[in-house]
Amino acid sequence: MGGYGDVKLLNDDGSRLDGRTFDESRPVEVKAGVIPVADGSAWVKHGLNEVVCAVYGPMEAHPRKIQLQDQAVIDVRYNMAPFSTSDRIRPGFNRRSREISKVTAEAFASTVMVERYPRSKIRIEIEILSAEAGTRCAGLTAASVALADAGIPMRGMIVGVASGKVEDTVVLDLDKAEDNYGQADLPMGIMPTTGEIAFMQMDGDLSMEELQQAIDYNFAAAAEMHDIMEAALRARYDGGDE
Amino acid sequence: MLPLGQGGCLMKGWRVGAAEETEMKGNEKDAEPRLVVPGEVIQDHANLNPGCGIIKSADGHIATRLGTLNNNEGTLHVQPINATYMPRSGDLVIGYIEAVQSNLWFLDVAGPFNALLPMSLAPWKVEFGDARNHMNVGEAVLARAQEVDESHSVVCTMKGVGLRKISEGHIVSIPVQQIPNIRGENGATIQSIKEASDCRIIVAENGRVWIDGDSAGIRTATKAIEVITMTGHRPDLETRLAACLAGGEV
Amino acid sequence: MAKQVVPQLLRQHLANLAADDERISGRGQWEGRELELEVDCLYNADGSAKVVWGDTVVYVGVKFELREPYSDRPTSGSLMCGAELRPVAHRKYEPGPPSPESIELGRVVDRGIRESGCIDMNALCIVPGESVWMVVLDIHVISDGGNIFDAAGLAAIAALRNATVPAARYDVGEDYKLAVSLTPIICTFTRVGGRYVYDADEEEELAGAERLSITLGDNGSMHSMQKGLKGTFTTAELSEILDVCATRCDELRKLVDSKVE
Repeated sequence: MGGYGDVKLLNDDGSRLDGRTFDESRPVEVKAGVIPVADGSAWVKHGLNEVVCAVYGPMEAHPRKIQLQDQAVIDVRYNMAPFSTSDRIRPGFNRRSREISKVTAEAFASTVMVERYPRSKIRIEIEILSAEAGTRCAGLTAASVALADAGIPMRGMIVGVASGKVEDTVVLDLDKAEDNYGQADLPMGIMPTTGEIAFMQMDGDLSMEELQQAIDYNFAAAAEMHDIMEAALRARYDGGDE
Repeated sequence: MLPLGQGGCLMKGWRVGAAEETEMKGNEKDAEPRLVVPGEVIQDHANLNPGCGIIKSADGHIATRLGTLNNNEGTLHVQPINATYMPRSGDLVIGYIEAVQSNLWFLDVAGPFNALLPMSLAPWKVEFGDARNHMNVGEAVLARAQEVDESHSVVCTMKGVGLRKISEGHIVSIPVQQIPNIRGENGATIQSIKEASDCRIIVAENGRVWIDGDSAGIRTATKAIEVITMTGHRPDLETRLAACLAGGEV
Repeated sequence: MAKQVVPQLLRQHLANLAADDERISGRGQWEGRELELEVDCLYNADGSAKVVWGDTVVYVGVKFELREPYSDRPTSGSLMCGAELRPVAHRKYEPGPPSPESIELGRVVDRGIRESGCIDMNALCIVPGESVWMVVLDIHVISDGGNIFDAAGLAAIAALRNATVPAARYDVGEDYKLAVSLTPIICTFTRVGGRYVYDADEEEELAGAERLSITLGDNGSMHSMQKGLKGTFTTAELSEILDVCATRCDELRKLVDSKVE
């Protein structure tokens, strides 16, 4: 999170810089089956973020030491392409990506029916092609669709959504300026079909009331986004494509 | 959230015409199968048993996989669109040798793990250390899954009628869900492909199909299989398949 | 990259097909797969392209960075090309440090572009001895369905021709289009079933042998060549390939022209 700074994030009439209302998400597009060689895949465009995800597996868990005797290992790589940000990112080990990979894997390990595939591994490969605040959420969304596309059994699909605070106002779906200069960021991974939360991080400054408001915004957005994810999966398979 | 209609599923975008005929009530059998997504709650049919791809919860049945919902003799299950092959005992499989140890072959059978083919279950008498001379890495075999344990480890055998090393022809891979489409009702589809291509064709349970014949025949059979697996959901499959088998462009 | 087991039956089948002048996909010996080229598709890149070639999908992003020139070439900018073959692109790609395959891909694409002289390095000079532009080209393979070399090479030159130097952002003037005087194109030929074919797909690469990747410039001059993988070839085979190469390169060059204008 950047400092508060002098950057105006709300217009004089109270609206957001890009014209959205406080509870309005950036436009979202989802497609399933975009990586032909993968077992399952998805593409998500969320505002100016663009993310692709491939799923491979279940497969044998190598090396031996990562194998779990009674369940599958969820192996996630979240990676930002060098050209995804305005300042180029040098390829190679990145701590932020490593952390996001870990918590993303833990989110899916909670919803994928891993007991079905002991000693095996399910690979989730998330590539960020374009980043404008909200990539870890777009990654969660893309991974859910890719897992469904691959036929991996899950208790439900996780939707990645984030809310935050700018100029003391809680808003849904921070864009880049709001993320850099705002006061709080709350990305979550929500399963709208059960109401469970599988992923949650927060940084900044939120009162308990503000936190609740942000959570409410996230739940509402997750429900809508779930429809879009479903539509993408149906579009792939109900003969509408080709 | 979109309001859940009768039957508790989101009908948005899925064969709108069918929605009018298919009112799910009580014990009525589904008039049309419908696509469900993981996590989808299916509120009707509470009296049915949960089958493959369904779990029971307080809200009713929940689909866990992307696929078509089916109601079969008292069991609600999901026919998945995509699935990895999970070996079952007795399955006929086509495997590729991935590794050889002195008394053991490791087979890639398109499942999560390699299957084991021990020396004792090979069709020949194999001396210890001699395994490589009989079958080496990269070769293909027609085998049967003999034992599958709860962690999906498989032991295969080649002792059995028709089981052998595959030395001729071509093997294509298809999604396991498509196997019934390739076979057709009472094997009618596979029969017509065999006749038109003049090839021997064996469809293994792990989604691999062995085609043996001359180049032209293999071409015809491969194309026919492609027509079914890639475009089977589009209308007029029979016409297009017939055209393909007759040798025309599809 | 995990070693893949080559099915012997596939090798045999491809050889049988080759003897009948056929390929597994039904294509002709010198026929390529259908492909799509899109430019200006990555929001944060200064130039970008996406190629969908059969089952292969490659993105290339170009970014410009301000650097000090090398002391022995005070008025020269620089070019850096790299490629990543990440696990997203295929089951066989494992996580880890850059593989020899990804390094080779980056360097082969680099050579073709660099040696063609299509970018005037001196035109990248801002203040002699002090600041120059470095052109950084990143090849990101998303799906490896065969022949990533040609897909990457095509996306790379298209991205360069699409690129705008972001001078305003660095306060060194106004943005301007990168001057790219030529359109070098890579064509790769693989030995499959005993004979060379153009644009091998996944199965042909799996059971095939060596490959020849050749970059030709606008007037048919060769700017780079790479023989990769195990196998040998003859001068007669090379001659035949070069003829086909010229035609294929011309076609792809026209495609790039049509997209970047």
